[in-house]
Amino acid sequence: MLDARTTQARRRPLAYAGTGRACRRAVAAAALCVAAVAPSAVADEEAPGLAVLAAKALVCELDGRQVVDDAVVLVKDGRIEAVGARRELAIPADYAVHDAGDSWVMPGMVDLHSHVGGPGGYNDMVYQVNSGLRVSATVTPGNARLARPLAAGVTTILYIPGSGTNIGGQGVLMKTRPGDFEDVVLRNPGSLKVAQGDNPKRWGYGMQRGLMNHHIRYSLRQGKAYAKRWQAYERGETEKPARHLNLDVYRDLDAGAIGISTHTQYYQVVLSTLRILRKEFGFPVFIDHGSFDSWKLGPIAEEIGVPAILGPREVLWHRAYSFDTEGAAQGTAAGFQRTGVSLIGFNTDAPVVPQEELPLQAAMSVRYGFDDARMGTVRGLTIVPAVVAGIADRVGSLEPGKHADLVVLTGDPADPRTSIERVWVEGELVYDASVGVRKW
Amino acid sequence: MKLLHTKRAAFAAVLVATFGVSLGARALAFDDEEKKGDESEEAEDKSVPEEEKTAWFAVTHADIYTGTGEILRDATLLAKDGKIVEIGYDVDIPGRDYYTDVPEEKRDFRVDVLDAQGMRVYPGLVAISSSGLLGTGGDFRDSIDPFSSNMVLGLAAGITTTGQGRSAVKLKRYVPHEPPLPYDFDGIVVRDDAFASMSLSSGAAKRSLIEKFQRASQYLREYRQWEIDVKKDKELKEPDKKGVDGTVLEVLEGRVYPMFRAAERADLLNVARLAQEFGFRPVIDDCREGWTVADELGRAGAFAILSARDRRDKDESLVREGGSSIENAAILSAAGVQVAIVPESKGVALDGIVGRDIMHLPIEVDFAVRGGLSEALAVDSITRIPARMMGIGHRVGSLEVGKDCDLIVTDGDLLHYQTFVQYTVIDGELVYDKQQELYFAHIRPRPEVELAPAAKLDAGEDAPAEEPKDDAKDEDREEGEGGE
Repeated sequence: MLDARTTQARRRPLAYAGTGRACRRAVAAAALCVAAVAPSAVADEEAPGLAVLAAKALVCELDGRQVVDDAVVLVKDGRIEAVGARRELAIPADYAVHDAGDSWVMPGMVDLHSHVGGPGGYNDMVYQVNSGLRVSATVTPGNARLARPLAAGVTTILYIPGSGTNIGGQGVLMKTRPGDFEDVVLRNPGSLKVAQGDNPKRWGYGMQRGLMNHHIRYSLRQGKAYAKRWQAYERGETEKPARHLNLDVYRDLDAGAIGISTHTQYYQVVLSTLRILRKEFGFPVFIDHGSFDSWKLGPIAEEIGVPAILGPREVLWHRAYSFDTEGAAQGTAAGFQRTGVSLIGFNTDAPVVPQEELPLQAAMSVRYGFDDARMGTVRGLTIVPAVVAGIADRVGSLEPGKHADLVVLTGDPADPRTSIERVWVEGELVYDASVGVRKW
Repeated sequence: MKLLHTKRAAFAAVLVATFGVSLGARALAFDDEEKKGDESEEAEDKSVPEEEKTAWFAVTHADIYTGTGEILRDATLLAKDGKIVEIGYDVDIPGRDYYTDVPEEKRDFRVDVLDAQGMRVYPGLVAISSSGLLGTGGDFRDSIDPFSSNMVLGLAAGITTTGQGRSAVKLKRYVPHEPPLPYDFDGIVVRDDAFASMSLSSGAAKRSLIEKFQRASQYLREYRQWEIDVKKDKELKEPDKKGVDGTVLEVLEGRVYPMFRAAERADLLNVARLAQEFGFRPVIDDCREGWTVADELGRAGAFAILSARDRRDKDESLVREGGSSIENAAILSAAGVQVAIVPESKGVALDGIVGRDIMHLPIEVDFAVRGGLSEALAVDSITRIPARMMGIGHRVGSLEVGKDCDLIVTDGDLLHYQTFVQYTVIDGELVYDKQQELYFAHIRPRPEVELAPAAKLDAGEDAPAEEPKDDAKDEDREEGEGGE
């Protein structure tokens, strides 16, 4: 089953693999997902569908509508059926209706840097390179660390290995709702986790960037060669190569079906991210855990199609002998925005920062200079990470055919004062603040 | 004492070195005796010494959120020598509305006017606890670092007073003046011994504490009776104070609130019972499960200190509700418990993670609002209520006539994540200006305010440069002002 999903993913190159503009076209043209997922029950089990009425719908299309006032979202069979203004969209008479009153509705939020999909066991540090390890082995749907995130409207995460080694292994894109493994997994592998900079230094005495870069290059070269051998075989040119479990993931990478989520921080490290992973090997890469002054390379990142997912270290403070900011507190997201990067999203690195504080990462980016005039915060929590992870055909916006992952909330999602009233995942009501003890 | 004095003199020397200005003998005069000496020396000098001038401070055109429920739009707040003297409309400011003809060098007052057009004024924030904003701790008069960047960041967060150790201390930064003014080391401490820590955490501690309360309340009863009886019989001996715990006695007399650290239900109920039995109001730090026993705490008149984002799952072996709740502050407040909010990280975090430390105190409060706390009570939880807990509510925590002029000027709603503190004022002195510091000046820079109408400037240029005709007139005015 998982293989089937992977194969399907392999046919669809990642949207952002090209430059900004090209990637948008690719997403616009992307076919709707037809993966067979069992339809979930709507709120009213008798009703054939659900209508959510809200004062405002944050639609978050990549290029199209962003906001619909006085909105209705129709849900059928776990998918969004239609989104529109109440005066234009008729609600079928037999649908269950949830009127959210003055509250808003938005797509479930997406976090591309999370470690709470399981109870632990995701940071093996025996070898410095672990391309074959799959974090999916530790996925525990509905684990205790996912209860508050779900109640905070974070419905999709990229659950990835830790950053204790240069290549930590394969992440998995999953929903935060309870359920069976097969139900919650969106794509496996979700990404290949590469960590650069300081964290993998902990692996061994005397580790420096030179050896780490060597490790990464050596492994990617092996992997690329392996992928080419299989491509030659698939074209009928060669014998069937021997299967190598540590290298299989590079076939997905080379086909552009998954990307590298890179734990990278300040600009010197990001430079090697851009140069090695993207320019030398041509793999789809995104800056994950983008922090500090990584924005200095914004123009290069944009030129070669590397999006920026930022957090939780979003501000660079002046630090004598290390960082010269001339005394200023520099916002990372503000820097990427100023240098023209088109895809800017937010992540938590949960549990470093609690998963439920994903929206706060967006709020803090605004506090420290990010201009939210064009809904950059909301988009950076929804459609942008969905596009970057290559799952924008299923999640990230309120568009017909996508998963009905809906969040009803009292206002601006970035504002910590905003509370979440209800959350549906794939049409199933998974959180209702009015029932029992409020979780968040 | 001598050592203390030497330290301060050395410190003043550092001030001189840092600012490259001569502070003069006056700035070095930390002791009253020395001050008197200086006065006699310069008695013949007609101009009033800088530190003896009346210091006026005004904020004008501001939306003033007094913290007592009132919001005054486009109003003026006026302070004299660090105390608020007027809040309202048609407020006359010396040097602007009267005494305008007294030349600068002859004035016996100085005046600073802050035009806060389009901005809001709130009381300075009170952090019930923090770490690292002031210096090393202990006796803050000795250890405070008035140049600390952490202190500036605290002021940038709007914090003007904080509980640290057992004291309530102001974030008094050294501000260069021309001519220089002395640094008021004594003015930084609002109250020593603002807290009385107590423990009920173990059986032994509990027994010991109850005995202390029993003994002290017995003594108080005897003393009160003695106070009555001694009027009839002057020979009557005062009751024996032996074995009476001084701190417990202060608590029973209502001079200080006792602080208990209690997070779990059973401990909270113990505190509430003790408080009701002996009749005092407890401050409960880390009041995590308060929401499960809110009524009991409310009846005991408790204060609660909590972090809105506290995260602790309930003990699954228990049937009852437990653990943390986002609604904790709201539920406690509804039951009459006064809630002060602190972030989980009480220091200044410069590791790049933002929104969780003392610099983001209002952000922590936002999460209590998320849990249902009203916005007014949310502001109270970082102003009035912590001030009350430390017994300094008569000085700080709200903007009222007679209280200290500790205020912040913000560019918007204090509780909005985008809002920055533009100015911080302590004791009527501007100690932080966002545009003058390196940290945040570049983020949404404050638009320049036109300092004076062009017409006035023109008049000044045309007016003949001459001294006012008679000094007597000025003296008259001064008397008139005193009579106001």
